[in-house]
Amino acid sequence: MANRKKIGWYLIFTVPLLLIFTLIVLVPFVIGIYYAFFQWDGIGANPMVFNGLDNFVRLMEDERFLRSTWLTVLFTVLSVITVNAVGLAFALLVTSKLKLANLARTMLFMPYLIGGLILGYIWQFVFLDVFTLIGDVTGLESIFFNWLNNEDFALFALVFVFTWQMAGYVMIVYIAGIQGIPGEVIEAARIDGASGWQRFLRITVPLLMPAFTISLFLTLSYGFKIYDVNLSLTGGGPANATELFAMNIYNEIFGYGNYGYGQAKAIVFFVIIAAITLTQVYITKKKEVEM
Amino acid sequence: MKAIGNWSKEILLILMALVFLSPIYIIFINSFKNRLELYDNTLAFPEEFSLQYYSAAMQRMDFLNAFLNSIYVTVVSVVFIVILSSMTAWMLARSGNWVSTVIFMTLIATMLIPFQTIMMPLMQMVTGITRTTGIPLYNTLSGLIFMNIGFHAALSVFLYHGFIKSIPISLEEAATIDGATKFGVFWRVVFPILTPITATVMILNVILIWNDFLLPSLTLIDKDLRTIPLSVFYFFGEFTIEWNLAMAGLTLTIIPVVIFYIIAQKYIIKGIGEGAVK
Amino acid sequence: MAFNKKFVTGMTFAATISLLAACGGGGGDEGGSEGGSGEQSQGISIFQTKVEISEQLEAAAEAYTEETGVPVEVIGTTGDDYAQQLQIRLNNGTGPSIMSVQNAEVAERLESYLYDLSGEDFVSNIAPDMELMLDDKLVGVPYSVEGFGIVYNTEMVDPADIQDYDSFVSTLEDFNAEGINGFGLSSEAYFLIGHISNYPFSLQEDPVEFMEQLSNGEVTLTETEEFQRFGEFMEAIRDNTPTPLNTTYDTQVGDFAAGQTAMIHQGNWAAGMLDEFEVDFEYGMAPFPLEGNDKLAVGVGSNWAVNAEKDQAEIDAAIEFLDWLHNSETGQRFIVEEFGFIPAMTNIEAGDLDPLSQAVLEASNSGETIPWSHNYYPANVVPNDFTPVAESFFVNEDMTGEELVENLQAAWENAAQ
Repeated sequence: MANRKKIGWYLIFTVPLLLIFTLIVLVPFVIGIYYAFFQWDGIGANPMVFNGLDNFVRLMEDERFLRSTWLTVLFTVLSVITVNAVGLAFALLVTSKLKLANLARTMLFMPYLIGGLILGYIWQFVFLDVFTLIGDVTGLESIFFNWLNNEDFALFALVFVFTWQMAGYVMIVYIAGIQGIPGEVIEAARIDGASGWQRFLRITVPLLMPAFTISLFLTLSYGFKIYDVNLSLTGGGPANATELFAMNIYNEIFGYGNYGYGQAKAIVFFVIIAAITLTQVYITKKKEVEM
Repeated sequence: MKAIGNWSKEILLILMALVFLSPIYIIFINSFKNRLELYDNTLAFPEEFSLQYYSAAMQRMDFLNAFLNSIYVTVVSVVFIVILSSMTAWMLARSGNWVSTVIFMTLIATMLIPFQTIMMPLMQMVTGITRTTGIPLYNTLSGLIFMNIGFHAALSVFLYHGFIKSIPISLEEAATIDGATKFGVFWRVVFPILTPITATVMILNVILIWNDFLLPSLTLIDKDLRTIPLSVFYFFGEFTIEWNLAMAGLTLTIIPVVIFYIIAQKYIIKGIGEGAVK
Repeated sequence: MAFNKKFVTGMTFAATISLLAACGGGGGDEGGSEGGSGEQSQGISIFQTKVEISEQLEAAAEAYTEETGVPVEVIGTTGDDYAQQLQIRLNNGTGPSIMSVQNAEVAERLESYLYDLSGEDFVSNIAPDMELMLDDKLVGVPYSVEGFGIVYNTEMVDPADIQDYDSFVSTLEDFNAEGINGFGLSSEAYFLIGHISNYPFSLQEDPVEFMEQLSNGEVTLTETEEFQRFGEFMEAIRDNTPTPLNTTYDTQVGDFAAGQTAMIHQGNWAAGMLDEFEVDFEYGMAPFPLEGNDKLAVGVGSNWAVNAEKDQAEIDAAIEFLDWLHNSETGQRFIVEEFGFIPAMTNIEAGDLDPLSQAVLEASNSGETIPWSHNYYPANVVPNDFTPVAESFFVNEDMTGEELVENLQAAWENAAQ
């Protein structure tokens, strides 16, 4: 009886959201998987030819796809590191007792308020005008030039802009985490004679584990999925040096008109990143300290 | 001595924030320039700070109407998201059975799906539902809200879930012993403690929904249903952008969110403080 | 704690209100969506690529509604995502009644959605060879005539000095020595390689047939003379001008307007932007002298098409609208004055034209033109395949023109398979 009541409450609390979620996200995703087994250009009236696993076999030999996958992984790993390092640093700064911390907190978060498309265009100006200007003035032309036209640097430009955009975002998550650490704990450690660095490593970091889980996961998922900044900043160029995964799928589906093949790519990539990120969540969750 | 040290730290902090913000300066400054001025120098001040591009942008965007649509969609979506996802997350976090784990993992796994890969089947389904059942999901603001809830559910549950895990269960147990129903326990005891994360969830969702272009552009057709990001499309030509209007439009778009953020961020801090005092 | 309670009460209140509002709003929305296809008169919707005329088209739609009572909805999009949105709309049955179809390649993909307009009255006025044909069906009505070539500053360049490879290159070298950009391209796909790659194709006797043979592997670019010359041209351009990759369409036109660039490769559509830059010198359009070519490349940027999947009443209403746009006085005024088009219809007089459009119109009237081959390229080969090739050509100074053509060949093969 009690058990039944418990299940009832469980359903009342979870079903409304899960129903909507299933309808809007899961069902279309599953339909998308179905299309991956067809040769089809995505036009409803044109023939859909079942071709089994051909699409999946084909992508193992698709050099552009493999390169794009590698670039995406590289981009994501670099971004996760920089975004979280910068975001955590910001969070520590603005939770210190400085008077202007509140103002700074707002300012640092502002980049995230701008939609990705226009942001890419703005940064084109920055790389083209500001970077070359700094290069001229300081004489450091080997560092400050238009990164977007260099096959090796364009990806870093993307990491740079992504970090700029996302650092304020993860900062919020870290702020919530830092504020959640009871003051007494840190105070006790101080009385016990722990140095600032020790307090950070031994107390703050372990207690921030939940925030790490969240931030790492968010940056991973946003990094893997990045599209609009990619489109407006580099457009995948120069010479496909920054064609990241979402753009590669997009080009396959809407550029080349290979809907089925594009879906196959999407699924393979989804399986890979799901494996990576879920492992990450699992590991960091284990390290969280239960309070 | 210490006062001076603090002073310089304050200045350093603001300087850093300003450097960080400098690209936004480009947006702002260029919303006052014509194409010739923009070409001459992207970084210079405009000849005059006239609001002509703002009023032109507002007129062409049908700003007031778009603004009301955006407010309506954002507020209603976020309220539903907060209510539904906090409830779901609490249940998932507090009942440690395998069903909850599977649901939770499924939710977060879907956060990795690029929207581009599901938009076509989604739109087929949505119009299919509208046609067969008559439920107006397509080309209505309510339909857009419904889809927003679905798309942002995962992130919100994820955030709540992490936070709920970190708060002590003892209070809830005490309330249960006092005879409160699950519903009562959640709304009277748990939800108030969640305030800081609720503020975070609200901020992040407000931004995502407020700025979203792709989903509204797919689901809304009628001109008078356009949200702000949709109405900015006039300024983006096939090959070129009307920079001053686009920048003015963008500034108009982000001001409401900035105001909202400034108000909401207090709740993150305050909420935590009060939660700890109990 | 008191604060938290207030917050919760507020939230609950807001939730209740919005729930009510959502229901109310839902009802309201319904009315709105039905307005488009109301019973009193068959409404139509238009979805099109050329964002620059969106507002004017909305005005035209309003004028039409006023005259006839037929509601017309113009659906907005940014130019970039048009193709994707159109595809999604067609697939879920919410396609527009009138859409734009850029070229033959797109028409082929969308074949089943394109209504055959062959018998309609107004299509008989389409200028020769300007209609979009699919087999023997007429499926697209041209928006306008457009043309591109070398846009030059008359104070700096004498068209007689750019009539063949040698004179063209020596002009570039002279400008280079003076520190002036002799010939400006820009970094966007079509302005970097898309348009300029037309010439070697369009100079073939039958460009369309040539492209078919190319796709079948019967001919290769590397063995075709026009392409070998084209490679040489591109090499000369790269070696004597600043990299176009640092230039956007805006700065390309801006540099030209400021006198820092003597010639740019552009079309008559750039005239509007030149106006915005308040140009104080005269400019004209000259042919790109590949193999001594002396003709401008003239073609159609996009076409109006009618969605064949709609029911007959809506198709008829759509045709009525197109008829009105091209035959009525009001409609023609919109095309010429508001859209600023060079009409592609024999029954519409061109209005006051800028120098570039004038040059295009004259070329078009005299028939001294070469066609736009890029309208027959494999779908999206320009942004997807040609552009990366061109980018690496401009980035790597040691890549030869010959290698550029080899890579274009490979790009074509990749896109045509």
